[in-house]
Amino acid sequence: MANARALDKRRKSIRNIKKITRTMELIATARFKKAMDRATSANDYTKRITAVVGDLARAGLEVTHPLLEAPDETKSATLLVLTGNRGLCGGYNGNAIRLGAKTLSSLNEEVENVRLEVSGKRGISGFKFREVEVHESFLNFDDQPLFTEVEEIADRYLREYAAGKLDRLEVTYTKFFTVARQQIVTETLLPLGSLEGADTPVDPEVASGQRESLYEFIPSAESILEEVVPTSFKIKLFKCFLDAAVSEQVARMVAMKSATENANDMIKDLSRTYNRARQSQITGEIMEVIGGVEALEG
Amino acid sequence: MSNIGKITQVIGSTFDAEFSETNMPAIYNAVTAEINAGGQKRSLTGEISKHLGGGRVRCVALGSTEGLRRGADCVDTGAPVSVPVGEATLGRVFNMLGEPVDGRGEVKAEEIRSIHRQAPPVSELSTNTELFETGIKVVDLLTPFVRGGKAGLFGGAGLGKTVILTELIARIASQHGGYSVFAGVGERTREGTDLWLEMQETEIGSTGRKVIEQTAMVFGQMNEPPGARLRVALSALTMAEYFRDSTGADTLLFVDNIFRFSQAGSEVSALLGRMPSAVGYQPTLATEMGALQERIASTNKGAITSVQAVYVPADDPTDPAPATAFGQLDAFLYLERSISEKGIYPAVDPLASSSRILDPAYVGEHHYKVARKVQTTLQRYRELQDIIAILGVDELSEEDKLVVHRARRIERFLSQPFYVAEVFTGKKGEFTSLADTIRSFEELCDGKWDHLPEAAFMYVGAIEQAEEQAKKMAEKV
Repeated sequence: MANARALDKRRKSIRNIKKITRTMELIATARFKKAMDRATSANDYTKRITAVVGDLARAGLEVTHPLLEAPDETKSATLLVLTGNRGLCGGYNGNAIRLGAKTLSSLNEEVENVRLEVSGKRGISGFKFREVEVHESFLNFDDQPLFTEVEEIADRYLREYAAGKLDRLEVTYTKFFTVARQQIVTETLLPLGSLEGADTPVDPEVASGQRESLYEFIPSAESILEEVVPTSFKIKLFKCFLDAAVSEQVARMVAMKSATENANDMIKDLSRTYNRARQSQITGEIMEVIGGVEALEG
Repeated sequence: MSNIGKITQVIGSTFDAEFSETNMPAIYNAVTAEINAGGQKRSLTGEISKHLGGGRVRCVALGSTEGLRRGADCVDTGAPVSVPVGEATLGRVFNMLGEPVDGRGEVKAEEIRSIHRQAPPVSELSTNTELFETGIKVVDLLTPFVRGGKAGLFGGAGLGKTVILTELIARIASQHGGYSVFAGVGERTREGTDLWLEMQETEIGSTGRKVIEQTAMVFGQMNEPPGARLRVALSALTMAEYFRDSTGADTLLFVDNIFRFSQAGSEVSALLGRMPSAVGYQPTLATEMGALQERIASTNKGAITSVQAVYVPADDPTDPAPATAFGQLDAFLYLERSISEKGIYPAVDPLASSSRILDPAYVGEHHYKVARKVQTTLQRYRELQDIIAILGVDELSEEDKLVVHRARRIERFLSQPFYVAEVFTGKKGEFTSLADTIRSFEELCDGKWDHLPEAAFMYVGAIEQAEEQAKKMAEKV
């Protein structure tokens, strides 16, 4: 039987760990709710944009934009991997790094010039361990990524894309579906491909010239499209950051919950072993005393 | 004229006798008494262990005391129990008194020797230290045996002590040119029979001679009274000592199980009137063990290499009996239940086991470094186990993940197919040379085999076999 004192010490340290994981679980739950709200409101915004695009299309405008079409040749690409700044969230970071590394190697085969950009401390150290060079890294995104900060990055991509320095942008992040389901995915953000709502059929009455469009576009439908397409890209990128943040909190919540449960089980097991060790120690000592007394009498 | 006394008291497996006060038999002298029980006559031998004063002596019975009567005659033989020694003992099976029990007639020994002898003086002890290769990976790498030294196999019930001991006999005795002596102390009689039969089949190298022809066996098994189990190790040792001193040959002494020796001592101790000590053991536990172990020594005349199984009661290595044996040994293997539960045999705990000669001065810098690296990796894995249990393997840092990855492979690679376990594993025994062992573990630690699946490392010899096994596994899928 193991040493009772050592068992007790171990049990104490596991109790402390349990306190931490329990607290982290509560914090993650609170943060998850906030992040979730933000993600939901972003959804509303996306819907509005889709509606605007739909209106433009209905008005008979052909939705074309350089951001929507792939360049003739893909020479340089950028991979953005979104991870967390903190651990203790189960497989969240590990999965992102694994898929990121996989995507990176397949990109390297297709495209000659690949840049790797990583958000989150965990991702940065993960790639450093794999000895992969990270060209750009961000540490400023936690559970509430700010639009202005994401916009900065998005603007840079847009500039590079316009200048022909960037032909493709891939983002690896954890997509949030429901509380029970998040999935790590890689999505192509540039070229945008198509805008949601762009395939809305043209109003037949407007097309046949029977009447004017319901909307009046000022200064013109084209200039509005000129605005909407980049904004749509920014929103999409921002959505990735938001999804990643929500997923991280969910992952942490789940991981900490099971950690607390595991700690509980372990404490139970250790207590049982400890009590048994203690009892057998006492029994042994009593036996010795009694044995000694009897031997002296006999 | 023989010295005759009378039995005055029988207490379990001890009895008192009264002799004339001026002519008392010496301590350790053997006395005999006739027992006439149910019309059957037999002779009982006892050993004087205490003088009670007034001509009375207390004896430990070396056989069953059933039917012994007060007032019966008790004859002092004038000498301690003596057993036949020499070439005549080879191929034979004895009981503790040196009587043959294999039914092959009388033993014509030229010499008989008392089983109580002094340990060789310090000035005669051999100072040579040399590694003794067994071909078992975990043993050679982490707990190298010493030629002419003592090795112990510690383990709780059912962890495979006897299997490892039999395996060592199969490996060592069949390669070995010298003599072997086997002492069966308080273990199952069946195991002794199995071993005896197996030795009759196994050949020594390619000489065409059987192992049994070079082996003497002495048994005092579970069914015998404590007195017999207490002294049987000494009988075997006396035979081994003769080979060492008179022939100068390298001698092997196998003892299964030295714990039973201590246990038998504790069974008679209270009957002899000694006050029990820690955990109810005899107060003379260390003395008895010391007297036995010190005699198992290599001198400048010859060497005795000894392998002993030590039962660990309730898996508690701090129990006084194994703890006392522990200090006497050069190398010890600690068998761990949690490892045997994983199905890894031999279930040697690589962190609790150790050897005196696992030191760069004896095994060389390279061997030492590889062994330590293996231990460090496994140690780290063990430290991480609580964290893994609570938080999961994903929370570990990348470095730690790699450590876990390798440690799990090392753990499995420490298993090895045994010759004697062929019927259980379905695999032929593997003899892995020391050089192969060191190379394999070095490459494993350096990450050369990280890509193989864990299961590929189970029950193979050198690392190349793991690669082959991985290929076979891949083909099956």
